[in-house]
Amino acid sequence: MNPASTSTLLVAMENVTVRFRGAQNVHAVNGVSLTLEPGKVLGILGESGSGKSVTLKTLLRLLPESRTDIGGTVIVDGRDVLALGPQELADYRGRATSMIFQDPMLALDPVYTIGEQIAEAIVRHEKISRKAAMQRALELLQLVRIPSPERRLKAYPHEMSGGMRQRAMIALALAARPKLLLADEPTTALDATVQIQILLLLRQLQRDLGMGVIFVTHDIGVAVEVSDRLAVMYAGQIVETGTVRELISDPQHPYTRGLLAANLHGAKKGERLEAIPGAPPALNEPPSSCSFAPRCKHAEDRCRTGLPPAIVLGEGRIVRCTRAEAELAPA
Amino acid sequence: MSLEISTEERDRGGAGTPLLEARTLTKHFPLGRGAVVRAVDGVDFQVLKGETLGVVGESGCGKSTTARVVMQLILQDKGEMLFDGEAVGSAALSLKEYRRQAQMVFQDSYASLNPRLTIEDSIAFGPTVHGVPKSGAILRARDLLARVGLDPARFAARYPHELSGGQRQRVNIARALALGPRLVILDEAVSALDKSVEAQVLNLLMDLREEFGLTYIFISHDLNVVRFISDRVMVMYLGEVVEIGPVDELYDDPRHPYTRALLSAMPSMDPDNRTMEAPLAGDPPNPINPPEGCRFHPRCPQAQTVCAKVKPVLTRTGAGARLAACHMEIAGSGHSRALGLEDAA
Repeated sequence: MNPASTSTLLVAMENVTVRFRGAQNVHAVNGVSLTLEPGKVLGILGESGSGKSVTLKTLLRLLPESRTDIGGTVIVDGRDVLALGPQELADYRGRATSMIFQDPMLALDPVYTIGEQIAEAIVRHEKISRKAAMQRALELLQLVRIPSPERRLKAYPHEMSGGMRQRAMIALALAARPKLLLADEPTTALDATVQIQILLLLRQLQRDLGMGVIFVTHDIGVAVEVSDRLAVMYAGQIVETGTVRELISDPQHPYTRGLLAANLHGAKKGERLEAIPGAPPALNEPPSSCSFAPRCKHAEDRCRTGLPPAIVLGEGRIVRCTRAEAELAPA
Repeated sequence: MSLEISTEERDRGGAGTPLLEARTLTKHFPLGRGAVVRAVDGVDFQVLKGETLGVVGESGCGKSTTARVVMQLILQDKGEMLFDGEAVGSAALSLKEYRRQAQMVFQDSYASLNPRLTIEDSIAFGPTVHGVPKSGAILRARDLLARVGLDPARFAARYPHELSGGQRQRVNIARALALGPRLVILDEAVSALDKSVEAQVLNLLMDLREEFGLTYIFISHDLNVVRFISDRVMVMYLGEVVEIGPVDELYDDPRHPYTRALLSAMPSMDPDNRTMEAPLAGDPPNPINPPEGCRFHPRCPQAQTVCAKVKPVLTRTGAGARLAACHMEIAGSGHSRALGLEDAA
């Protein structure tokens, strides 16, 4: 890795692997490299078990250390995340990088008011009084546009609606003004008309505060709505990256194409869907060939014998498929 | 016992009779201290033979309660249902006989299966209750497993925890078909599946619909899926039907402001044309003490005085067989945009 080029990056993950030890080992992430510039939004798209949430949790070191082997390098805002000691890690979490989750009811503490929880996070990272922290908490609730924020400051999580709890969790995540916000399916549990409100709020906060955001989702529509760039994950690897426009209008990897077709946007009524057959592989062994080959209608012998090369189609446009090479060769 | 059951033989009412007709279905859940959840409040609809009726709406709109009442898993407080012209629960159509003909698939594929039964036993369970000998029921279970794409030799003796989510949902579909039903209610049946697996199950549902001459009630929060699979769509809000009609007409030209809001909340799928404004503010209200008049009026951008006072009834609108419950669609309702008072354009 060239240090000159990474110094301007907010996030640089290089060949990251995550393995969970147990009766059966699980190779959840298998060589993920990604970068994020400050103030940009990267969407990670993938299905259950693709490693998208594990990748996100690696950035915050949230995985259980005693059962997890992490390889590769993770640099966030110039810090080597995998080398942080306990005290540095506690300072890093919430301050440099913060995270929002799918279920705010689980992420928020049920026995403290929203205001107390936000103020606690501020006091932990900044030398200010509790009273001043409460005032900041109020401003944060206004920032995420919670109606009657003075009253909500004293509310407990169970007293709020789902959309409002999600806003409160966003306020909590922003409490110490992080440079990087990690979002793990934050709108998946919400109703359609509430989901779009939260997406628009996140988009605006990201712009106004100049945060970098990594947004993990299984929903292509949601990813398109918030992201500048997309990374598609399958079986613990990024199989395709590019700008949102490139991936939507010109998907190269057969898995990306299958996912787009399965979204049913513009699908013809009554016609059979081009479904991807089969199911994702078990990840008990690290991949030694293309993980998608067993489900791919274009698979050839070489797909089943070796790992596919990462083919660079352009600036930040990478496809992990031997076919992309074949298609490019004649040109 | 043969798997083939001629639908014609059982078609008592004829092609013109709806397979299911729900009349003013009402289900309230008392909470104590006088509070009542009006989960389903006077819902009327028909499901025609061989069609798929999509049901959409947000949390608390009553779509799942409606499904459970239709299935008679919970009994309505008011209203009645006619199945092929005969009242459900009457002498002509007992509850047990009705349940042979109407089956349901739930969202949680794991919770819907008995963890201590092999999947062939789960599928054979219903038929044996209805008097089919065990050996015949097992044979039929294996046949059904093959039809939903699970090789009986490999899968019949497995337990639910040994299957993936998509495979388990195929088992639930096979079990729903074991009694040879005519109506299958799919309550968020593909919502928990990954997109690539969801497409496989949707293909399966379309094949089975054709093969067995099934009629579906398809409940989902995913508006893309509903558009794809449905012939007609019913939109619910706070326990009431606000709009119902042919799928393309309803999606292309929604008449109820709530339908419009719901459709414009769908992600755009176009990076050059992203959604810039949320169509509605706040969360859907809960169905305890719903608003007077039109239940949508407190959130409706076009609400006027009449909307807070008078409940709009479902009224024929648009080009075809569409109904909407909105004062703007009711001539002379007192809403300034209503037909007949001002230009309808």
